[in-house]
Amino acid sequence: MPERRCKHIFAMLSDYLNAELPVKNCREVEHHLKGCEPCIAYLESLKNTVEACRRYQMRKIPAPSKKVREALLLALR
Amino acid sequence: MNTQIEEALKSLQSGNRQDAERALETLQGVVYGFGMKVCGSHEDAQDTAQETLIRLARQLREFPDARALSVWLYKVAKAQCLMSRRKSKFAPAQMLSLDDLMPKESDLSPAGTKSWQVTPEETVLRLELRSRLEDAILALPKHYRLVLILRDMEQLDTREVAEVMGISEETTKKRLQRARVFVRNALAGYARHLSERKSKSHA
Repeated sequence: MPERRCKHIFAMLSDYLNAELPVKNCREVEHHLKGCEPCIAYLESLKNTVEACRRYQMRKIPAPSKKVREALLLALR
Repeated sequence: MNTQIEEALKSLQSGNRQDAERALETLQGVVYGFGMKVCGSHEDAQDTAQETLIRLARQLREFPDARALSVWLYKVAKAQCLMSRRKSKFAPAQMLSLDDLMPKESDLSPAGTKSWQVTPEETVLRLELRSRLEDAILALPKHYRLVLILRDMEQLDTREVAEVMGISEETTKKRLQRARVFVRNALAGYARHLSERKSKSHA
């Protein structure tokens, strides 16, 4: 990502994915993305990363300990 | 906000013992899962869940809504994770610089950026990706790791993450950005490796 302009856009991509970028900056990013293949590819890979995190699920969850169960049931009495 | 927590609070408030048991299972899943992602150790995650949920039992009636409970739960679990470091892997506290994380042009080929879009059928690839993702997250310095886990895995919003971490929303966004790029770069290495492996098998 050698272009100075790309570096400037790069710094805004995470907020852009969160839809937390001010409208003016959002337009700037979208305008830049129309003509910049490396930035499009980069945004795609960043999106895939966030998606992989969101889809991540724990495989095994142990049951709550007896101590926890008793404390909670006591609190609910 | 984590919607499971909302459901669990409703069940706890219902006064029904079976609902409360179910809520406890849910909260155990939330806190243990968070502990595993942050600490990478079953023992630490189990300690985190036990200590956090016992404290919750003592303060159960003090939560006006699910959001308050969610922020409180992650705050306590976070503190517990940072204390119980029996087997946890914490990378040394360091600052991640955006300039250092900036990708090179060679990293940006379409093959290198799209290869970790794995379909549900590709089970082996999914497991590999999972393992790479876990390693990348555990390699993150802890303040970046916590923000990424809270925002992208636990799916709290920026304001909630800032509250849990005790930092501003601006700092939260900056840490999230660097953490995402760090993990992205680690997965891009995997994607390149995958792409090379595919071309060798087709050769």
